[in-house]
Amino acid sequence: MRVVNAFFSDMLFMFKQGFFTVYVIVIGIYSVILSFLPDDIAPMATALTVFSDPSVLGLFFIGGVIMLEKGQGVLYVLVTTPLRSREYLLSKILALTVLALLSSFAIAVMSTHVRVNWLLFALSVALTSSFFTMCGVIISASCRNVNEYMLRMVPYMILFVLPCFSLLGFPFSWLFLAIPSVAALKLLLGAYSGISPMLAASLLLYLALLSYLLFRFTLRVFERKIVFND
Amino acid sequence: MEKVIEVCDLEFTYKQTGKKAVDRMNFSISDGEVFGFLGPSGAGKTTTQRLIIGLIRGYSGSISVMGKERSLWSKDFFEETGVAFDFPNLYLKLTAAENLRLIAAYYRKKVSDIDMLLDEVGLLQHRDQRVDSFSKGMKMRLNFVRSLMHQPRLMFFDEPTSGLDPVNAHVIKDIILRQKREGRTVFLTTHNMSVAEQLCDRVAFVVDGRIVVTGSPRSLMIEHGTRDLKVGYSENGNICEKLFDMETLGTNSDFLSVINEKKVISLHSCEASLEDIFIKLTGKRLVCE
Repeated sequence: MRVVNAFFSDMLFMFKQGFFTVYVIVIGIYSVILSFLPDDIAPMATALTVFSDPSVLGLFFIGGVIMLEKGQGVLYVLVTTPLRSREYLLSKILALTVLALLSSFAIAVMSTHVRVNWLLFALSVALTSSFFTMCGVIISASCRNVNEYMLRMVPYMILFVLPCFSLLGFPFSWLFLAIPSVAALKLLLGAYSGISPMLAASLLLYLALLSYLLFRFTLRVFERKIVFND
Repeated sequence: MEKVIEVCDLEFTYKQTGKKAVDRMNFSISDGEVFGFLGPSGAGKTTTQRLIIGLIRGYSGSISVMGKERSLWSKDFFEETGVAFDFPNLYLKLTAAENLRLIAAYYRKKVSDIDMLLDEVGLLQHRDQRVDSFSKGMKMRLNFVRSLMHQPRLMFFDEPTSGLDPVNAHVIKDIILRQKREGRTVFLTTHNMSVAEQLCDRVAFVVDGRIVVTGSPRSLMIEHGTRDLKVGYSENGNICEKLFDMETLGTNSDFLSVINEKKVISLHSCEASLEDIFIKLTGKRLVCE
C-alpha cells in the first residue's frame, strides 16, 4: 500500500513541478514532425524517437526529481517515515515508467498507422525506462545540484546510447546486444519490423534479469549515499 | 518507570574526517520525559540524535530504543517516532494540507485530523496555500506539526522554536508540554536555554562528544548557584543592591534594617542560569542561532 501511495505522491510532485506540462508539449511537437514523414521511414523514425526520448526520459526526470527533493530537504523527511528505500525507488521507477509508456504510446499512435506489436513495444519501453531511471538514481546519489547531474550523466549517455547506432547497419551488431540499451532498442525496432520470438524472449529475459540486479545495486547506492551518507 | 531510550558507552567516529563525534556517552530517558540535549555547535548533540534516530550507522556501544537495539529496528521504528529537524523540509510547490496528506500516506497508523493540526499552529486559513509563499515561521510550524500527526510515542525535535516569534514559540512549547502530559517522550536538542528550562524534566550538557552533567534544570540551577539573596532598594533617590547570605537572614541586622527601613524594589535568589552552568562546566560559551 505504501508503494502505491508513494507512486501517487510522485505523480502529484511531478505534476506540481510542471514536468507533465513540458512533456505534453514535447509529445505534440514529435507527433507533428513524425506525421509529416513518408510512410517508408516513419515507423523506423518513430521507433528511434520513442527510444531516444520518452524511453530515456527517466534518466533526465529522475535527476530533476531527486535534486528537487534534496534541495527542498524532503528526502531527509522521507527517510524518517516508515517508507522503505526499496518502496521509494520502486515508486519512482513506476511513476517514470508509466509516464514513459503514456508518452511513447501517444507518439506512436499519433505518428504512424503501421502494424505494431504493442506488447513488445510496451515491454521494451518499460524496460528501457526503468533501466535509465535506475542509472539516474545512481548518478544523482552523489550529486549536489542539477548542473553536476547533467555533467555526470554524459559518460552514461556515451556508454549506453552510442552503441545503439550499431543496429543501423553495423555488421557485428549482435556483439553489442549485451549492452542493455542496445538490447532494448533491438526489441523496439522488432515491434515495428518483426523479430524472431526466440530472440525477443531471450532479450526480454536478459533485460529483466539485468533490471533486477541493477535494482539491488541502486538500492545499495541509495542507502549508502543518501539515507546514511556513509 | 520504563526506559524509552538507554544509551550505553556510545561511541562514533566519522570515517571521512576521523573525528570522534561521540565519546563513551551514557544516558537514559524515561517514558513520558522531556529530555534536553544542550551544547555548543559541534559538541556531538546532532550526531547523537541522528544515531538514535537511525540516520547514521556504524556506532559502537549500545542504543536501546523502546526495548530494542536501534540497529535491529526496521523502518517500523518510524511508526512510533516523530522527527522535526531545525530546518523546514517541505514540498514547496504543494499546499500545507497536501504536504501533510502526502507524508501521512506512509503510516499504517491513523493520523490526526489535518485541519485540527493546522488549526493548532494557526495555519488553518492557509491550508490550501502553496508552501513556497509561507514565511520561515509558518514553514517551521508546518514542519513541527507534521512530526506529530501519527501520534508517535517518541519525538525528536531539533530547535523547535527556531525562527518563531514569541507568540508562535509559545504555541509550540504548549504543544510539547501537552505531548508530555499525554505520556509521550520527547528528545529535544537546543541552544535555547530558556526553552530547555521551560520544557525539560532533565537536561544533559554535552561538550566534545561527552555528557558533562545531567539533571533537572531546577536542581542544577540551585546546585550551581549561591545561597544568596539579592535585595534591590531605593535610598536617597538612588537604586542600591546588596547581597545577603540566606543561611543568616533572620539574624542579619544589616538585612533586617534594609527590609524594615528602606523601600525594597526587588528580591532575587541567586541560583545559576543554565548558561552560567554550561560556561562553568565547560569553559565554553553557548552560541545561540
